[in-house]
Amino acid sequence: MAITEEPLALPAGDSGPAEKPLGVFTRPREATGLVNWMTTVDHKKIGIMYGAASMFFLLIGGLAAILIRIQLATPNSTFLSADAYNRIFTMHGTVMVFLVVMPLGAAFANYMMPIQVGARDVAFPRINAFSFWVFFLGGLMLNTSWFLGGGANGGWFNYAPNNGIAYSPSTGIDFWNVGLLIVGFGSLTGSINLITTVLNLRAPGMSLMKMPVFVWMTLVTQFLLLFAIPVLTVAQLLLLFDRLFEANFFNVAQGADPLLWQHLFWIFGHPEVYLMILPAFGIVSEVIPTFARKPIFGYPFMVFSGIAIGFMGWGVWAHHMFVSGIGPLSVTAFSVATMFIAVPTGVKILNWLATMWGGKLILNTAMLFAIGLVTQFTIGGLSGVSHAIAPSDTQQTDTYYIVAHFHYVLFGGALFGFISGLYFWWPKVFGYKMNEKVGKWNFWAMVVGFNLTFGPMHILGLQGMPRRMQTYDSAMGFTLWNFVATIGSLILAVGTLMTLYNAFYSYFQWKAVGKPDVGPDPWDGRTLEWSVQSPTPEHNFDVSPTVTSLDDFWHRKYVEDDDGAIRRVATGDELAQPGNGEGVHLPAPSYWPIVLSAALPIVGYGLIYNLWLTVPGGLLVIAALFGWALEPADDLDLDDGHGHGHGGDHDDPDGGGNADDLLEMV
Amino acid sequence: MRVPLPKSVARWTALAALALTAAACADDKPLNTFEPAGPAADRIDGFMFYIWPIMGIIFVLVIGGGIWISVKNRVKPEDYDPEDLPPQTHGNTRLEVAWTILPAVLLAGISVPMVAQIWDLEERNDACEPGEVGEGCDGLDIMVIGQQWWWEYRYDADGDGFFQDANGDGVVDGRDQELPLEIALDPDDVVTATELVIPADQQIDLLLTSRDVIHSYWIPRLNGKRDTVPGRLHTWSVEAFEPGKYTGWCTEYCGLSHARMRMSTIALPQDEFDAWLDNQKQLAEVPEVGTDAYEGRELFAQQCASCHVINDNSADFDPGDDVAFTIFDYGENFEAALTSKAAPNLTHFATRSSFAGGIFGVYLGPGTDPNDDALDVSQYLTLAEQASAADSRDDFRVNSAQLKRWIANAPSQKAMDPDDGRGMTAFPQLTDEQLDNLVAYLATLD
Repeated sequence: MAITEEPLALPAGDSGPAEKPLGVFTRPREATGLVNWMTTVDHKKIGIMYGAASMFFLLIGGLAAILIRIQLATPNSTFLSADAYNRIFTMHGTVMVFLVVMPLGAAFANYMMPIQVGARDVAFPRINAFSFWVFFLGGLMLNTSWFLGGGANGGWFNYAPNNGIAYSPSTGIDFWNVGLLIVGFGSLTGSINLITTVLNLRAPGMSLMKMPVFVWMTLVTQFLLLFAIPVLTVAQLLLLFDRLFEANFFNVAQGADPLLWQHLFWIFGHPEVYLMILPAFGIVSEVIPTFARKPIFGYPFMVFSGIAIGFMGWGVWAHHMFVSGIGPLSVTAFSVATMFIAVPTGVKILNWLATMWGGKLILNTAMLFAIGLVTQFTIGGLSGVSHAIAPSDTQQTDTYYIVAHFHYVLFGGALFGFISGLYFWWPKVFGYKMNEKVGKWNFWAMVVGFNLTFGPMHILGLQGMPRRMQTYDSAMGFTLWNFVATIGSLILAVGTLMTLYNAFYSYFQWKAVGKPDVGPDPWDGRTLEWSVQSPTPEHNFDVSPTVTSLDDFWHRKYVEDDDGAIRRVATGDELAQPGNGEGVHLPAPSYWPIVLSAALPIVGYGLIYNLWLTVPGGLLVIAALFGWALEPADDLDLDDGHGHGHGGDHDDPDGGGNADDLLEMV
Repeated sequence: MRVPLPKSVARWTALAALALTAAACADDKPLNTFEPAGPAADRIDGFMFYIWPIMGIIFVLVIGGGIWISVKNRVKPEDYDPEDLPPQTHGNTRLEVAWTILPAVLLAGISVPMVAQIWDLEERNDACEPGEVGEGCDGLDIMVIGQQWWWEYRYDADGDGFFQDANGDGVVDGRDQELPLEIALDPDDVVTATELVIPADQQIDLLLTSRDVIHSYWIPRLNGKRDTVPGRLHTWSVEAFEPGKYTGWCTEYCGLSHARMRMSTIALPQDEFDAWLDNQKQLAEVPEVGTDAYEGRELFAQQCASCHVINDNSADFDPGDDVAFTIFDYGENFEAALTSKAAPNLTHFATRSSFAGGIFGVYLGPGTDPNDDALDVSQYLTLAEQASAADSRDDFRVNSAQLKRWIANAPSQKAMDPDDGRGMTAFPQLTDEQLDNLVAYLATLD
């Protein structure tokens, strides 16, 4: 986005009503409605769609989880067949990781990060739309496997050689493979987009060490994605060739070593867990200072511990393989490395507690969920240390102890953090607060349900119950705690649904009962997103803010007296920009991201069912790429004065004036 | 207003907590990692004995601290005053350096004995070369082969190694993790399934591999787990302090019937083990002509012998075909290698306590009706445990009803994919009498 305080004088499309060359279509104009949502390149709408899509997939993954728990509630249950159970637990893990937690991080990063750095959009708005649509349509394609053969059945880790056509002949694993390959494109383009945004589009004065912690964590997350996703893509392409074209990458009879898959998968898979948790760490690093009414304790430590986690996350992948037979030297190295990744994580926990220490805490729902993350993630971190110890891990790996561990990290940690973020930023996004009373119920139901579900799994695992078991026997002594966990999971399901309920309930309260609008700064916020109106205007900032310090917005509201006392000099509402977007140009919507995204699943179905189908799919990909490239920088039919005063879409290298914009950004 | 908790509720809560704790600690948990019965599991448990309290202290400090800070610093919404800010502390470098270094030092402290233990546990496996005889080595090596969805054990009974090359010479190198694909297993070794029988109070070296996908061998009370990976040989060991039956479960997801791939390790006193091994080395006896069992044997030769091996000295049971002993063949013989002669060896079927991957008992306890179709799976398993614990099997009757159900339609008893070459196929053509004869024959295989 052009970070200029004056509208640019240069008119766009100054060649007048030019004739359109072949293959050039007008850009869509709809400002509202379905077509607008499908063609929008506005990072905020895309962020909302990421969030809504995650919630949709959360319902699918959650339903799978409940089916699993019903099956395991009693010994020797026949509620689900072995085949159905295997497919359901595989899809539960796959959906939750790739289609719920990862895109939730993307939702917050998309919506909040550009505003927090003072930008008007991300660096490449059309690519941003592509990232979302390719994720959503790829995710839908993956989920059509429920109806086309019953879902993948190899586990979300999908180990070779069980993932080969010889052992898993049904198409479930092909859907897993192709669907995630497609979703991976979205993660990859998204990461490049967001990294560029953070590095190049920050408001004047916002040096790296003045960025909010959430922006930092987003940056680290996107770097992790940038380097991790290609490794998974490589592994999946090898598997694709094995399954579809009889290649031998994982064929033991041809000398392949099945551990190759494990190494590739976990080199992706371990950074993956950090890229799921770091956005949530970023969120609570915004929430806790706001409601403790203190700055984050030890900002540099928070930033560098996040970066340290990002780097160390690459050196611990083989702790997933302590019993795979990788030899004692490797086990020693990875065991010690894994132990020490607890250090930067511990620093974060202690710094959050220190931020709360001596604060004046407002224990609203957002804050409660943030504290929930801090405490529950600690439990997950401690159990993590117990299986970083490799000898102990030989007893614990692939048992319910591990299931307990990573749910404490990813559900009690990441998802609690994201729900905290929902409550925190909801008024900014939609203009009304979520109901606090329902919110408290939501929080406590989730805390009770969560701990009742996953707490007993520690005991089950140590009592020897392996993971991924369709059933167990009453003689094994697992009955009691499985039953307790199932009760807990039902409470947890109700608790989680209350988040969605609260969103709608509060909306009706706001509309019907006529609750007042929240104003730009409902929480006495610290960062730039609270300096614009709620909901955020389409152009974000009327004028680009100039940043002088960390927590810049807060420092505009409060000053320190000569005697050291803090004094409020203005309210957020007074300081907030009025939201007048006149003269601000915005990138025009485009059809091509969704067309290109829709073409990829067609190729995918072709790979699975009939290679001829890849021809129209591939042609559509090419057509979409040409359409994208040839698309006019701005709508030629449109006069000036529609808010599109200046041509130039920043993902269009040939766009008029684009190079100038880029120079200004840098 | 604060309502005090009624005493009855408090007492009920305490009682419930006690009951739950008691239930958690009851010793009816055959896979409990907290009840080590062998030196390896004992070492791991002993090391963690020092770690759990450290984790507990950190747990209480951080969680308790977090809750305490939250409650102590809480400002009620009605008391909220935007002008009344707490001191704006930005950090304390000394403190932060301290809580970076202290955990690092603590973890380094844990790491030192941990690294020693990693090597220790490996060292013990490597101390005895496979096939080696001497101090601490009994010279008996056992190969554990995972297969969808049961375990095969091969005892190097003739002591010449597990494999044969083209000249019939034994080849063993347990440290070589590359498994030569063309080399066949030694047909002279003892082959059993599901239950690993070992002498008590001795470390038994295991060589782990798999015929198809990755499995994991785990007897929680004896040792941690180790994966069995096709194409690789992994070393591992088991040792039990006392004679007894120690149950386990495949712990790497291995496809459809992963949940029904169970096993056990049975430790016997040395003399009983020697007797057991001597018996296993014997060929199966041919039943007398004219008996039901003899009819069953004829039927076995026609219907079952293409997959199951019974070593007796007659030609119709001769394994002959090399595919029976080829561990891996994913090429053109892929399906044949998975099914042909790669089903459990039944030579001494009647000496085992369970079948079908450890999910059904071979014998029923006193007082149960073997023809009772209503017996559910859990009862079989429980009774099988009793059967194995009994000194003599005479009090127990063959679980014929379940055996017949299994032979007639195995996929209805345990999820399998016989059409894709995995698991046992159904035999709907067998009459009830034929099934009776087959069971009668199997019961003679002791």
